[in-house]
Amino acid sequence: MALARSPKILIHDTPAPSYGIAGLVGLAVFALYVITLAPTTAMWDASEYITAAYILGIPHPPGNPLFVLLGRVASLMPVGSVAVRVNLLAAFCSSMSAAIWFLVAERVLVAWSNIRWTRIVAAVTAALLGATTFTVWNQSVVNEKVYTVSLAFFAVVSWLTVRWCDDPDGPVADRLLVMIAYLIGLGYCNHPAGLLVGPAVAVAVIVRRPRTLVRWRLLLAGALAMVLGLTPFMVEPIRAAWHPALNEGEPTGCTDKIGFSCTFSHTTAVRLMANVNRDQYGKPDLTLRQAPFSAQMGMWWLYFKWQWLRDSRGTAPAMQLLLALGFLALGIYGGVTHWRYEKPSFWFFGPLVLTVTVALVYYMNFKYGSSQAPGLSGVAREVRDRDYFYLWSFSTWSVWAALGLAALWKDLAGRITGPDARRWMASSPILLFGLIPFAGNWRDASRARETATREWAHDLLNSVEPYGILVTLGDNDTFPLWYAQEVEGIRPDVTVAVTSLLSTDWYPRGLLRRKITPYDAAHGPAAYRNLGLPVPTKPILSLTIDQLNAIPEYVDVREPQIFQAGTLKAVVDPRRLEYGVPTRGDLIVLQFIKDNLNVRPVYIARTSGGYVQALGLEPYALVQGLAVKIMPSAVMPTADTLAAPGVGHIDVRRTLDLWNGYGMPKAVISRGDWVDRPSIGIPALYIGTASMIAEVLDRRADSTGSDRMRKIAMDLAESTRLMDFMQARAPSRAPSESGDGRAQQKIPIRP
Amino acid sequence: MRYLSRAPALRVHSVRAGAAIVLFLGYADLVNGGVTGAPVLLVVGYLLLVPAVILTWR
Repeated sequence: MALARSPKILIHDTPAPSYGIAGLVGLAVFALYVITLAPTTAMWDASEYITAAYILGIPHPPGNPLFVLLGRVASLMPVGSVAVRVNLLAAFCSSMSAAIWFLVAERVLVAWSNIRWTRIVAAVTAALLGATTFTVWNQSVVNEKVYTVSLAFFAVVSWLTVRWCDDPDGPVADRLLVMIAYLIGLGYCNHPAGLLVGPAVAVAVIVRRPRTLVRWRLLLAGALAMVLGLTPFMVEPIRAAWHPALNEGEPTGCTDKIGFSCTFSHTTAVRLMANVNRDQYGKPDLTLRQAPFSAQMGMWWLYFKWQWLRDSRGTAPAMQLLLALGFLALGIYGGVTHWRYEKPSFWFFGPLVLTVTVALVYYMNFKYGSSQAPGLSGVAREVRDRDYFYLWSFSTWSVWAALGLAALWKDLAGRITGPDARRWMASSPILLFGLIPFAGNWRDASRARETATREWAHDLLNSVEPYGILVTLGDNDTFPLWYAQEVEGIRPDVTVAVTSLLSTDWYPRGLLRRKITPYDAAHGPAAYRNLGLPVPTKPILSLTIDQLNAIPEYVDVREPQIFQAGTLKAVVDPRRLEYGVPTRGDLIVLQFIKDNLNVRPVYIARTSGGYVQALGLEPYALVQGLAVKIMPSAVMPTADTLAAPGVGHIDVRRTLDLWNGYGMPKAVISRGDWVDRPSIGIPALYIGTASMIAEVLDRRADSTGSDRMRKIAMDLAESTRLMDFMQARAPSRAPSESGDGRAQQKIPIRP
Repeated sequence: MRYLSRAPALRVHSVRAGAAIVLFLGYADLVNGGVTGAPVLLVVGYLLLVPAVILTWR
């Protein structure tokens, strides 16, 4: 009977999958994601990936070539802004996954109930539950990572494997296996997580048809298909040879233009493999645990608790724990139900859940989580919460949790007397439990009206005078600027140089290659209209590529060092630098200062913490808005230049002028929350700036102005839950300079 | 399934040739610096045509 309804791919004698309803479920989930979609970019890697997609560039290793291709195609869609288009790609992939989880759940439930509508309702619950878990939802409404594309591959391979498990000897079985091999290879080109599904497929094959392992022709076909799936990696060296603005790892041996010999060279091969293998990150061997395994499982549990009720404000921890325990129990019950009713697919899905939970936790080998055990001090921590690495875990667990709910539903229906339909209907409210994440996560998972990151990028870039070099320190003060420059065309005249990447070999080369773009005065801040700065003709560094390559990774000096450039003479204290010695990145920053003092302004972003002080530049530091300008000679107080303890001096007029054009305070206050706590330093910087301006205006007896700035600071603090920070805020003291009489050496900055 | 196994030889060959041509053109455009046609062709080739080739393989 079912065969007759499925004219195409239909295996065994199971009822035909409800593809139409799966499509509707996918559409409904997509609609939810569109409603809660971010209207622009976001913190962390979102800007990097949107930029890479838009310019067909190469993001951080492994370079994600398949994502870049997909993102580029998405960016060509005639809807919304470029960022919205790429965000829609994430939404589309996740909603496709939801549709496929519907199919998987429906298939598993065939032996559980012979009433089709009950299977459909339970499967819809599975799809909605998975789609509304916090991390899946939050990652699906902005393209922060490539994991939603991974999730789509993961789900498709899961569905194909479930179908293969149904009839491993059927006429389509071999093709399904070859297709699975191809998709695993292709998924790897999106992210190495594409391989996660591999062990579960292997277990399913070994259990269901072990003789498959000796069918060498099939194995060869699978291997060839997988290799074909890996060929998008060829995109990396080809695009890298065109030196796009985002060319991380620079996986090419071509220096000027693309060519056959430089593309098929040893250099290209070495750099490409370094990218694919993510050598840049130098992750330790798995035997060297970065935190106890129990703590790493604790991190997973912390994020598991977030899935059902994120509660970012921490107002309902007991409820959050209760729900997490409930969904944990439901998932276990669902696993048992799966085993009980559908062993063939259990042999795939069971190992899959194990792979993306315990095995993945072991493999990722994370340090303590950013939000984990806040009372624990002295332990190494991840810079941010890594819940997104367990997206697949929470997504698959949801399928089992929904199966558990379905099993409970059936148990309840069995206790009620009456006709079938009535019994099922009467007990169906239990399924509402599956809607809890939908209700509980909306506020925190939604990215609607979240425009702060875009505004932050504009504000920081506009804090820099035309043709300036802006030294930044990390992801959140760098990637949004790349997005603003490359996608929105905001202030491309500014050279953004992030210290963490300056220590690589490829990034400084890319900065040297960067073309100087004329400053667009009409669209820049009014403060720069009359500066009349000429377009610099000198490159940002006086070094050749070879000289640049020859800068050592670090200089092993631990004592304070003198750095001199013209009238600027600073005492660099390596002990205050991040690694305790001047690194290649620090040396290049100093070289920037030396080469550009009278050519182009050099700034250090105020997100850099004590970097200005560590370089001994405080006497030369002049705060202008969100950045610190390094002046050629020591800054002297004037009517508009006041001492600002801890940061040097503040250019009051410029900072006020710039502040009036800043868009982020309004965006943050309008959104009314700041869910991502690890990036809270950004709004805190604005609060600090507003407070600083208020203090300055107080000194000038401008009470109206100071009240206005204080109100903005308070509103920002309230919106971002930083009232404690606001109340505790006191002017920080400038750190004392070295002067302890220890030997001082010169840092090897080139003349 | 029978539908797949009965796929006419011409159609099978057309899909294979189409996939090969589309991927070749995509990479050719990419080598020449293309950033619009190349990704479209490569996405169509990798995500639609190659899977179609695998599913219609005889």
